[in-house]
Amino acid sequence: MPWYFYLALKQLFPSGRLSFITAIATIGIMLGVTLMLMVTSIMGGFGFQMGRMIIDTQGEIQISSPTPIDASRAAAIEKVLAAAPEVMASAPYLKGVVMLDHASQPAFPFIQGFEFERMKKVIPLNRYLLAGSLDDLDDDSVILSSILARTIGARIGDMVSIYSPLMLERMKRDDIMLPREVRVAGVFEVGHQQLDSSTVLCSLRLMQDLYGLDRQFHGYNVRLQPGADVAAVASRLNQALPPGVQAFTWLESNAEFQSIITFEQNMIFFLMAFIVLVATFSITISLLMAVLRKTREIGLLGAMGGGAREVALCFCVQGLFLGTVGTGLGLALGFTLLHYRDNIVHFVAKLTVGQETFVKFYQFSALPAHTVTKDVVFIIVFTLIASTLAGLIPAWRAARLKPVEALRSE
Amino acid sequence: MSESVLRASGLRKLYPSGDRTLEVLQGVELAVGAGESVSVRGESGSGKSTLLNILAGLDRPDAGELWWGSEAAHQLSLGELTARRGRFLGMVFQSYYLIPELDAAANVLMGARVVGRAGAAERDRTATLLQRVGLADRGHHLPSQLSGGERQRVAVARALMNHPAVILADEPTGNLDERTGDSIIDLLLGICAEEKAALVLVTHNPAHAKKTSRQLALKNGQMGHG
Ligand SMILES: Nc1ncnc2c1ncn2[C@@H]1O[C@H](COP(=O)(O)OP(=O)(O)OP(=O)(O)O)[C@@H](O)[C@H]1O
Ligand SMILES: [Mg+2]
Repeated sequence: MPWYFYLALKQLFPSGRLSFITAIATIGIMLGVTLMLMVTSIMGGFGFQMGRMIIDTQGEIQISSPTPIDASRAAAIEKVLAAAPEVMASAPYLKGVVMLDHASQPAFPFIQGFEFERMKKVIPLNRYLLAGSLDDLDDDSVILSSILARTIGARIGDMVSIYSPLMLERMKRDDIMLPREVRVAGVFEVGHQQLDSSTVLCSLRLMQDLYGLDRQFHGYNVRLQPGADVAAVASRLNQALPPGVQAFTWLESNAEFQSIITFEQNMIFFLMAFIVLVATFSITISLLMAVLRKTREIGLLGAMGGGAREVALCFCVQGLFLGTVGTGLGLALGFTLLHYRDNIVHFVAKLTVGQETFVKFYQFSALPAHTVTKDVVFIIVFTLIASTLAGLIPAWRAARLKPVEALRSE
Repeated sequence: MSESVLRASGLRKLYPSGDRTLEVLQGVELAVGAGESVSVRGESGSGKSTLLNILAGLDRPDAGELWWGSEAAHQLSLGELTARRGRFLGMVFQSYYLIPELDAAANVLMGARVVGRAGAAERDRTATLLQRVGLADRGHHLPSQLSGGERQRVAVARALMNHPAVILADEPTGNLDERTGDSIIDLLLGICAEEKAALVLVTHNPAHAKKTSRQLALKNGQMGHG
């Protein structure tokens, strides 16, 4: 073992125990790493959960066309879909905006019409159903999103009136079309403010009636086999689909949401990196103190034939060691806290605002966490580099000490 | 000249002091034979430590020659001097400069570690040296658990670790009481004789100086007889 390595270990662990200053510096790094890991994991968890929710409500791929898809084009699309092995299920949809009225409480929700038997395989609607049943759904009933149902005061079994844009078209031609009276067959909630506040789901047939589209759709929702490369499948579909029809991945059709999530994650990562950087200052300070305290011993090492570079390495090794141990402990603590995060959140919620307020206030009742390996690797590499650099300043000072001057200092 | 193990000639050392320069060494001549012991006395500020540091290659003279055995040390850089120093000479100081985190034995062995060896032979030598300086059973004690005299004994053992040709001692008894100081000087002279190492001893104490085979004095930047 080179002497500087030996001496570095001896100085870190004088008489076998961890020195106090060393312990403080390590705790600093540990807390920084813990925080960085937890915050990025929880941020990642929210992003991941949002992404999964989007996929659950749209499928991984949406196929759409600027003009309604008629039967012949639909047949062509379905042939392409049937030929793609990664496609697990697909279902046609129609979407638009309507006016909803219940007991003189109007609302202007988005409406989507599905062929329910096929849609069930694409979207796990049952999972998000709060009340009612999908089996009760026919061409004269709808499913409302939770907040929408609450706002207009509609319950299961209530009748609501739907006014479609088609009525305005007809009115221009002095043709009166009466609003469609439908029954509320169910209420769903996906946990996303925007979707939950104004969405109506109905059968494809009802939607075709409302929009006056006979056996036509706007597009398809496509569900892929688990683990399929979404972007690759989408681009392959695009080559095969008839002209004017396009496949979009869920990332593409939600690009805005994705860019916000990515921006937030990068921002948080950047801020957290500063915390770790500040934590490495504790390494710099503790080693700098050691260099000042040991000035004459450093001079003596020179007098014994120790080179300036080796003296510097002695302190660099200490910085790297503190960084490594701090990172290890920080990851351990971070993963432990993440594992017990729900217990911790519930405990804090109970102590402060109360469980219910907490769940109501935040969109998710359980704290999501999703740790990406890439982030962990980045945290480790970043912390180790920062700690080694933190040891470099004291090391440089030590190396610059001339033995004569070091020995002379009293 | 070939028998001198350490030789300096025409050594000059200047220190800038305000707008004038202080010429501490003004052409020092010194030749130390193998195994010889030499004492250097001189008033405080006469340049004894300056000279010793130059002899040790820790500092460069402004002019003059320095020979370590047959090697022209004045032609080497400080880095090259450092690389050769650990094997050629050992140093003992007024303050002992033991590494506080290492026990007595590890401090002695450090002399060998720094020049790159710490095997079984070096451990044996550590034990032998500790025995010789009278600390055979104190090897596992930290410097803080040793008295001043005992610490200086450890420092002497450390200086001798690599079988140096020369020991340079700068007031090694300066921090010790008279009786302890006397015993350290006796130890130093005895052990250098046994190890056939030359000794350059800087001291204020005339009695200690008398014990060396040659007495010199530094005065007005020149070396003379003491
Ligand atoms: N780095 C330096 N810069 C300026 N002057 C110095 C420096 N080092 C030493 N001196 C001066 O050189 C002179 C000799 O110093 P040195 O330490 O060699 O004396 P000394 O003989 O060892 O004294 P003492 O017996 O007190 O140890 C002193 O006047 C000192 O002030
Ligand atoms: Mg002196």
